[in-house]
Amino acid sequence: MRDAYDKFQAAGIKLYAISYDDREVLAAYAEAEEIPFPLLSDIDSEVIRRYGILNTQVKPDDGVVYGIPYPGVFVTDEDGRVLGKFFQNNYKKRDSAELIIDAALGRVVLSDDAPRASAPEDDGIKVSATFHGGAGTLRQGIIRQIVVRFELPEGLHIYGQPVPDGMVATRVEVSGPPGLVAEAPILPPSTALQLKGSAVALQVWSGVVDIRVPIHANGILASEVRPLDQDSAKITVDVRYQACDDITCLLPRSETLTLELPLDVSDVPALPIHMGHGQREGRFDARSHMKRLMQRKGAKYRDL
Amino acid sequence: MAVNEDGSLNRDKHGFDAPASVDHPARTNIPDGHPAGPAIGERLPDFVLPDAQGRKVDFHNDRGGAKSAVVFYRSAVW
Repeated sequence: MRDAYDKFQAAGIKLYAISYDDREVLAAYAEAEEIPFPLLSDIDSEVIRRYGILNTQVKPDDGVVYGIPYPGVFVTDEDGRVLGKFFQNNYKKRDSAELIIDAALGRVVLSDDAPRASAPEDDGIKVSATFHGGAGTLRQGIIRQIVVRFELPEGLHIYGQPVPDGMVATRVEVSGPPGLVAEAPILPPSTALQLKGSAVALQVWSGVVDIRVPIHANGILASEVRPLDQDSAKITVDVRYQACDDITCLLPRSETLTLELPLDVSDVPALPIHMGHGQREGRFDARSHMKRLMQRKGAKYRDL
Repeated sequence: MAVNEDGSLNRDKHGFDAPASVDHPARTNIPDGHPAGPAIGERLPDFVLPDAQGRKVDFHNDRGGAKSAVVFYRSAVW
C-alpha cells in the first residue's frame, strides 16, 4: 500500500488502515516505515466487530492474537458505498494495490513498465499478456494478474462461451512452475449477438478486451521462511481465439506468450515476526510494543 | 519456528509457509461463505477512530467525497 501510495493519490482514492494496535506502536511503525496515510487505532476491535470481520476462530484466551480481523480491504465510491471487497481464503493471500485501484476506477490500468509479451500483430489484431501489480515481481501470497489484452479493429469481435460447433470461444490459460497458482479467469461483460436464422445468441467482445487471470506464488515457489531455489519463474500464457465480423470469420488462432518474472526476496526469514520477519528490510523492531500488547491482552504468547 | 524438528516446513494446505506453526491462531483463515462485512453496494458504516497522532478521524467526513480504500490488517506489532 505504501509503495503504491502515489498511484492511489493519482486515482483520487483516500487510504485508511485499521488494526487493534495502540497509538504508540502505530506512531513508531508509521515513522520507521514512512507510512503516508492514517493508521487508525481500533484498540478494542470495536469497528472490526461492528463490520462483522472479527476473526472468531481466535478465542479470548488466545492472548495477543485475540481481536484481529480477517484481513481485507473495502473499496468505496464517492458516497462511501462498497465498490469492491478484497478478502481471501488465506491470510497470506493479499491483493496487489493495483487491483484495488482497478476496482475503484472500474477499469484496468496497466503500467507502461510492467512486464509484457506481445504476439505479432495479425489482421490488425493485437494480443498481449501483461504482468499486472507490484513492481513486476512474484512474492508469496501476493495476488497479481496476468492481463491478456485483445485490441480488435472496428467491426471484429471475439467469442465468450458458449459457441456453436465449428467456432472457437476465447480461452486463456496461465501455467508456471510448481507453486505458481493461477485462478479462474475474470471475464469482462460480454454483449449478446443474435445471428440471423439462429435461435442462439452469441456472447461477444469487441474493442479492447481484458481477460484477467489472478496468480500468486505459494511457499513451494517463493517461501518466506527458507532461501529461494530459483531467482525467477517462467510463466506461459496460452491464448486461443477466433475473430469474426458480422459476416465472415478469420481462422482460429493460438498464441503462446511467455514472461520471465523475478521472485521477490523481501523477507527476513531468521527473525520472529515481531522482530522484523515479514518486513522488507527488517527495520522495525516491535519487541517493546509486543510487551505492551501482552500486558494489554494477557500474557499468553503462543510462540509469535 | 520456520522448520519443524523433523525438518518439515510449517506449510498450510494452500502451500503457504510462515514462521508460526500451522495451528497457531494467528494463522486461521476466513471460513468459506463468511460474509466478511458490508456487501457490495452498501454504504460502509460510520466510524471515528484516533490516528497515530491521536487525531480523531471521522471516516466519511475525512474522505470529503473522495473514493476510499479501507484496509483491515492484523497488527503492526507482529
